[in-house]
Amino acid sequence: MRRLLAVSLKELRQLRRDRLTLAMMLSMPVSELLLLGYAINTDIRHIQTVVLDRDRSAASRRLVVQMQATGYYDIVGDVENYEDIARALRSGRATVGLVVPARFSSDLTRRRPVRLQLLVDGSDPQILGTAIDTATGLAAARSAELATPGLAQTHPRPASAPLSFEPIILYNPEQRTAVYIVPGLIGVLLTMTMVMLTAMALTRERERGTLEALIVSPATRLEIVGGKIAPYIAIGYGQMTLVLLAGWWFFDVPTAGSLPLLYLLAALFIAAHLALGLLFSTVARTQQQAMQMSFFFLLPNILITGFVFPFESMPLSVQHLAQALPLTHFLRVARRILLKGAHAEDMNHEIAWLAAIVAVFIAAAAVRFKKKLL
Amino acid sequence: MPDSDELVVDAQHLSRRFGAHVAVRDVSLQVRRGEIFGVLGPNGAGKSTALRMLCGVLDPTGGRAVVVGHDVAREPERVKANIGYMTQSFSLYTDLTVAENIGFYASLYGLAGAARRRRIDAVLHESELAARTGQLAGELSGGWKQRLALACATIHQPPLIFLDEPTAGVDPLSRREFWERIHGLAAAGTTVVVTTHYMDEAERCHRLAFISHGEVFDSGRPDDIVARAGLAIAEFIVDDVDQATYLLQGLPGVEECAHYGRVLRLAVHGGEPVAAARARLDRAGLAVHDMRESRATVEDAFVAMVRRERRA
Repeated sequence: MRRLLAVSLKELRQLRRDRLTLAMMLSMPVSELLLLGYAINTDIRHIQTVVLDRDRSAASRRLVVQMQATGYYDIVGDVENYEDIARALRSGRATVGLVVPARFSSDLTRRRPVRLQLLVDGSDPQILGTAIDTATGLAAARSAELATPGLAQTHPRPASAPLSFEPIILYNPEQRTAVYIVPGLIGVLLTMTMVMLTAMALTRERERGTLEALIVSPATRLEIVGGKIAPYIAIGYGQMTLVLLAGWWFFDVPTAGSLPLLYLLAALFIAAHLALGLLFSTVARTQQQAMQMSFFFLLPNILITGFVFPFESMPLSVQHLAQALPLTHFLRVARRILLKGAHAEDMNHEIAWLAAIVAVFIAAAAVRFKKKLL
Repeated sequence: MPDSDELVVDAQHLSRRFGAHVAVRDVSLQVRRGEIFGVLGPNGAGKSTALRMLCGVLDPTGGRAVVVGHDVAREPERVKANIGYMTQSFSLYTDLTVAENIGFYASLYGLAGAARRRRIDAVLHESELAARTGQLAGELSGGWKQRLALACATIHQPPLIFLDEPTAGVDPLSRREFWERIHGLAAAGTTVVVTTHYMDEAERCHRLAFISHGEVFDSGRPDDIVARAGLAIAEFIVDDVDQATYLLQGLPGVEECAHYGRVLRLAVHGGEPVAAARARLDRAGLAVHDMRESRATVEDAFVAMVRRERRA
């Protein structure tokens, strides 16, 4: 027993010296709880919605206000035509497009059944479900309201419900989860391997003393670091290609947009994580610590970027936090290109964010690396 | 011995501070071509910091150093290209084979084509590693790892090589063979700067510098350093070495008492303390079987220097 205590005490002492591991072990439960608690809230509200109002009447405006009042739809703008709706959905500005037909108010007063179109981005099946369910509920409520007895006396009761939504699912109409998951998986895999491989590769050289020999050699810093990370860039692209091929072969994941564009933007994404891996390698003293840090970083990437849980369901504060993670932006880029055929100009926002993150990460890594190379 | 007066290393008043801590203070060293120059000093004395500045990977905060004809602060890349560096950890990729390690370092130092092939064959031959080219470096024993590390450090035929504790953890026979090779390199005109904790190795250097607390305490030929320490050595062969040590420690003029089995080794200043020591042992009734004089070594001088410094 005394020996067991001695071993435990020694272990605790070692743990106390290993500040990094200790800090991660203590902050892990709290951060995991917060991330999961916020992310798992799958009650999706605030679905970004654009409205194509062809009636422009008091009744149509009232309907739009009622939709917004449910809390499930955020009206982000009015559009002129279907092409605008398509663009908004493709660029991710909106997830739902509502089309109010031209004779909406007159049909309502004449008790003719009215069908509103609800164009929904189907790439996230969870959001889609909420959007359609809520609209259906709203239609039922409005129909009941319209069927008040006073009015029913003068007009014959229509055979079908006076107000209904016709959901039109764009992108991923069969609602297959794989189609949604595969583009995201590219991002998650790249995040994991790029950060961990880079961080570990450099820590390994330092741990084994080979970094010293590299530094004393005439090779420049750029040659050392560039040479070390180049193979991992190739590995990253290899992984991406494998996921794409497997997704296409096994799950029929579409490639609606330009693959060269996806590969080009993946370079930004990969660069961000290589820089982060470098940064980790300057903090971690051992390969083990480098690995722990990488796992620690992976957690929020899976939970709050929109990979598993819909981004829209998270509180705004968490959404803001998630902006700093490259995966948040790359997920959108990959999904939009693959599922919706988005063009570069549909993703200005995401590309700008990715570029900014890359710049910050590289600058931080360069500063730290210069100090810590020796 | 060095065959020319050409200075391969010329450090003048070299200093390096990290914040408030001064790691190296006003170090001046000159190493001539073909010389084996030993740097001795306790751990943390500033040897590694000094070495790094001479290699051009750490900028001095004071003074200057010209190494292989280039200023380390102004032309570090020229310095790096013309030196070899072997670390205590041997800097080998344990998951690469012998040939792959050598090949990597050859390319790192810009060797290509036929010249690369020729140099790789040459170092394989010199290090007798030719039969082991396919073996993983991690599977080699300490002595063979050391040979491989030296082969990698000399692949580009540098005029100057730095060896940082190159024989730590290597068996005595391998150490001896290693020093034969070092002397062979020096004879062929390569300059060698080596740090070590082994005093027998220090005696194999042409010249030495003692570094402690970032300063050079003494430098020169091993003989001269030993002579300057002014120590006489007497060895008593006694039955009760512990008792004898107890009696003699602290006697005026006694610098050091050390036992080696039945031998008590006494380092003293001048001749009188030896007689006084003998008298004291006799008075205490300790049987002294024999007493002989011995030569003072670099280790004696080194220990005396560190002790003196601690007392100060």
